[in-house]
Amino acid sequence: MLYADTVVSDPLVHKPKVIAAMLAAAAVFFTVLNLNGTVFGELMRPVIGEPAEAGYYGQFAIGVVLALLFTLNVVVIGFLKFRLQVVIVWLQLLCLFLAFFYGFNLDFEFIRKKVWFMVSQGVFTTLYVSAISIALASVLAIIGAVAKLSSNGFAYAIASFYTSFFRGLPLLMQVYLIYLGLPQLGYVIDAVPAGILALTLCYGAYMTEIFRAGIQSIPKGQWEASRSLGFKFGLTMRRIILPQSLPLIIPPTGNQFIAMLKDSSLVSVIGVWELMFLARTLGNKTFQHMEMLITAALIYWMLSMCLELIQGRIERHFRTKSH
Amino acid sequence: MACTRRAFTLAAALTAAAFTAGASLAGEALDRITSENTLKVATDANWAPQSFLNDNNEMDGFDVDVARELAKRLGVEVEFVTPAWDIITAGNWNGRWDVSVGSMTPTKARTEVLEFPAVYYYTPAAAAVHKDSPAANLADLSGKKMGATTASVFELYLQHDLTIDAAGVPSFEYQIEPGELRSYKDSTAVMDDLRLGDGTRLDGMVGSLPAILNGIENNYPIKIVGDPVFYEPLAIAIDKGDAELNAKLTTIVEDMRADGTLSALSEKWYGIDYTSTK
Repeated sequence: MLYADTVVSDPLVHKPKVIAAMLAAAAVFFTVLNLNGTVFGELMRPVIGEPAEAGYYGQFAIGVVLALLFTLNVVVIGFLKFRLQVVIVWLQLLCLFLAFFYGFNLDFEFIRKKVWFMVSQGVFTTLYVSAISIALASVLAIIGAVAKLSSNGFAYAIASFYTSFFRGLPLLMQVYLIYLGLPQLGYVIDAVPAGILALTLCYGAYMTEIFRAGIQSIPKGQWEASRSLGFKFGLTMRRIILPQSLPLIIPPTGNQFIAMLKDSSLVSVIGVWELMFLARTLGNKTFQHMEMLITAALIYWMLSMCLELIQGRIERHFRTKSH
Repeated sequence: MACTRRAFTLAAALTAAAFTAGASLAGEALDRITSENTLKVATDANWAPQSFLNDNNEMDGFDVDVARELAKRLGVEVEFVTPAWDIITAGNWNGRWDVSVGSMTPTKARTEVLEFPAVYYYTPAAAAVHKDSPAANLADLSGKKMGATTASVFELYLQHDLTIDAAGVPSFEYQIEPGELRSYKDSTAVMDDLRLGDGTRLDGMVGSLPAILNGIENNYPIKIVGDPVFYEPLAIAIDKGDAELNAKLTTIVEDMRADGTLSALSEKWYGIDYTSTK
């Protein structure tokens, strides 16, 4: 159930029908996969004989054994407590992923040699580009949100044009337009500032909508009350409206930051040496780009997980404060 | 809401200021190089053995060594920037960097936006296929799925739109009529698709001979078909509008060719002297 209740029932994975269906589906899946030529074929050699000549019988035998193991695994995990279930399933999926990467025959010595440079140069650049951009985008978003909510026709028109334009273009195109377009106006901009500007403008547009929604969610009575107390606009915003809307604004803003961390890879096209650029470049001489791409992928993932944890903490902080 | 309006006007004024503050930076490139004591060189970081990141994570390769030598003879420091190739070839650098030492072919289209002070070497361009391919000569590749780096001379060759406008280059004919042409970000990406199998994604490619040989050396299952399809003169490029820098670079490259520095660098990186056509 998607809500906590007190009705006790068997978990889904312990119902006989579900177990049978799972077993059948897994058996079909593993049979069709044809694992005769793999390590499973070798392990089953006593039963199916020479794996290469086992044919459909071998496929089917391996499929049934793997399906049994898989179903047993699921049923056993079904007995555990919720938290333990989560941890074990996470670990199992992680192992599957690592085994998948391991199957690429990677050169781990090469990764070990390069990983520090990827962190010190790549992660550092990625993080500072994203951090500066999200800070500037937040400022832009507040201005944009106020403009979008104001009764001034010019402000509303410009702010809505801005959000429409920058949400409507691919970020990669914005990066190119700013890097190549601004010099046409006589303003030569370097690669890093151009990247930061593009990310700021694009994410500022998305966040304008987030901030606008946050501000709009505060009941009209709050505005009226502060006006009757003689508060001016700035004071009302600062002391009354924003503190109440922040708990609503923070979670989606955290989301935007995580998304930006990965979108910052787009600025590699203009030659910024961030994580994605290094992932494509470092292995080039010796044709070891699979190694570098996978390493960078794992680094991005770990960074995102750290940010998710931080976001979770901030959300908890605001929840306890506001309730 | 007077305050809203005031805040908004301020923001608009700031934006306008930001746009007007950047006055034009146009000026003589050579003056900039001397005053900053730095030669800013644009290269591709993804093109071994011409230019790549070495084991110490520094720029290295034939082009990089040539650039270092240029800076040394100009008496300035060298600095490398690595924008995407199509940004370099588009010209209009606006002083972001001074020179491209990136094995660029001086095509007619490029001479409209860039100047080429000197050709510093020639590489043969060759066609390659997967090692299981039955293709035995260039004619066998007609009608096939061919790959090349986007905006490169190899792509232009496959599109039958290549005009090489430089002295000392043998003439060539279009010997391949590709059935389908696929463009890639760089030559590594082309070879990565070719290695998957004969015809899996590509039937063949056209690329520079050194890059293909480098791939073969690193166990890519590919082989070269036929003779080189054309000889590609490769030049140093600068932005339009600085005749002084142009003349200076021409002299320096002539000196480097005359005293054997270029040949030595070519031997070092390719094992072959590519500085003249044979």
